[in-house]
Amino acid sequence: MNNNLSRRDLLRLVGLGAGAGALGLGGVAACAPSADGPTTDTAKSATDFSFASWSLADNASKAKIEELMRGYGGKAGVTVNGVPLAYNTYLNQLTLQVRGGQFTGAAQMDIAWLAGLAALGKLRDLGDVARDAGYTEAALSSGQVDGKQVGLPWTTAAIGLIANRELMQKAGVTTAPATIADFETALRALKSTGVIPYAASTKVAQLKDILIWMQTFGSPLLDGDKVTVGDDASVEAVAWYKKLYDEKLIAPDVERVDARTLFAQGKAAIYDDAIVGRDFVVKGSPDTSLADKLDPIARPVKNAGDKPRAVQWGHAVVVVEGEGANTASDFAGWLTSDEQTVLGYFKDLSLPPTTSKALASEQVRTDRFTAQFSERITATATPNPFWKYPQYAQMETAISEQVQAVLVGRAKPADAMRDAGRAVQALIT
Amino acid sequence: MLPALAMLAAIVVYPLVASLVTAFFAQSLVEPGRTFVGLGNITELLGGDFWRLLRQTLVFTVGATVAPFLVGLALALALNTRIRGRATLRGLLLIPWLVPSVVVSFLWMWIFNANYGLANGALEALGLIDEPRAWLASPGTAMAAVIVAKTWASFPWILVMLLAGLQTVPGELHEAAETDGAGAVQRFFAVTLPHLRGIIGIVLLLELIWNFQHFDLIYVMTGGGPAGATETFATAVYETAFQGYDLGRAGALGLLWMLLLLGMVAIYVRRSEREGQL
Repeated sequence: MNNNLSRRDLLRLVGLGAGAGALGLGGVAACAPSADGPTTDTAKSATDFSFASWSLADNASKAKIEELMRGYGGKAGVTVNGVPLAYNTYLNQLTLQVRGGQFTGAAQMDIAWLAGLAALGKLRDLGDVARDAGYTEAALSSGQVDGKQVGLPWTTAAIGLIANRELMQKAGVTTAPATIADFETALRALKSTGVIPYAASTKVAQLKDILIWMQTFGSPLLDGDKVTVGDDASVEAVAWYKKLYDEKLIAPDVERVDARTLFAQGKAAIYDDAIVGRDFVVKGSPDTSLADKLDPIARPVKNAGDKPRAVQWGHAVVVVEGEGANTASDFAGWLTSDEQTVLGYFKDLSLPPTTSKALASEQVRTDRFTAQFSERITATATPNPFWKYPQYAQMETAISEQVQAVLVGRAKPADAMRDAGRAVQALIT
Repeated sequence: MLPALAMLAAIVVYPLVASLVTAFFAQSLVEPGRTFVGLGNITELLGGDFWRLLRQTLVFTVGATVAPFLVGLALALALNTRIRGRATLRGLLLIPWLVPSVVVSFLWMWIFNANYGLANGALEALGLIDEPRAWLASPGTAMAAVIVAKTWASFPWILVMLLAGLQTVPGELHEAAETDGAGAVQRFFAVTLPHLRGIIGIVLLLELIWNFQHFDLIYVMTGGGPAGATETFATAVYETAFQGYDLGRAGALGLLWMLLLLGMVAIYVRRSEREGQL
């Protein structure tokens, strides 16, 4: 029998392999892990566990998170295995791993995603851990889903507008724009200086930022269980966003990472970010005095006297039931409430703590940027009404895709928002 | 034999059967349970997005096959001559093929970035454009930009295959044609091309099959956007399953996509067998 492969045989195999690969890809949906649960952790002593975190996948925060993992590991005599996952794919990756029983332990979570992950039914109720840890009531509520404490609050603040004071002054904008009309005037002045006036999100991955503008224009987004995306206010908001896009007051091809890069390089004057943004832009900037130029500003309102809108933002730590869950729960409590730990986290990454005691510390109270951000942005922040639905990520995508279609001229604002509203409503009902 | 069959069952048969089954159910990625909907997912797709996705997948497939083929052929012809530094050039031209696909994707995403991309800088410096263009954020240019990136990544493979074929063309045929008065172009069409016909067929078919199922470069560079302008079957299946959490619809899409691909694979196998008989 001849076992030698000719070049032709080899090419044939390659072709068949390609076909087989396609079959695998074709079946990607069906290949999703089964929903069988992990084994229950019954060990009483500390055990090794995993900690999933997008901060571990980010150069700006990786070293600090690793230091914290080593710190807890040394204290408890265990190894904390880091699972770095990029933010934009984090929820999908973690959902698949938790669903398939391939992940147990602790995980960093955006508070917007809690309901979605909790729907899998595998998150531990951390009410006992939270009880005496000293979290503020507002922070505690950000980690709850249907009254269950599925996450321990790690940091809470809001997403708001951050401006470069020097670029604003160069354009003659000496006071923060209070209304949308003022904002447009300021953006036009900034454009004349050659910078991108407002590095707003225009890529689908972060176009969820449009939701807070819809609320600013007066759309509640949700009335009971009725989706109001598609109402006059939401259409007006999207038409306004499109106007900014067409006038090049906002730029194409921008998501949060791009906005931070452009802002850090002094090429953009204003952008949307959470309080964590300070650390990214300051560390990534060639301007050594950028930190002193950062100016958090309240989101302009439609009519003078309206309350500025801001969306809550925060990270929680959840624990997925299974092997190592007991130790992971202890780690989550230590990570989010141990005073020395949370103040060290604040010092290195500028992320505000969630316990009353740490918030009252001099270190937090005397930080200029944090104080201004809290007063001008966090003070009026509210949660996104869609967060309570496990389908939140799908809702966000449905709206973002329609808004992008408007921006690139493939749809009219009214038609796009009507379709987006219907799509989101369908996800609820 | 048995271990091989078991592996085949695990990595090919199971996903295939599971996909076929999922296509007939309404099933979410995150919520338990599923409901039998018969052909509902398939008919809904055929009455909706399927034809747009087919058209865009074909545009990408044909573009990302023909463009690197022409580049690869031109370079193979050049490298088949007695130019100086031929060996070095061959090595250098292979570099794009050695770069991991995700790295290629990021590289070209940055090159085409509207706000700080190299493409805009170079074109502005050459006076070809007045202001930066949003290559990846405009429906009219996004697909072309993705095809350019894919061309850069895959022409070296085609170059290697065609160069190997060119080196088997007997020199006497060229000499005889030249003696009969044939010019370079005539010799290319009368001698070189017929000799390469077999290998060109195989290369083009393989490229078509691979591009028809290509995912990573499109997904990283555009995510299927803007406004779905670069969405293909591959990215749509992923988006539907893992962003939309709709496993039933993703399964139906995968099933239709797979049937089309099977047709291409069948042509390839038949052609390979025919070549083998010659």
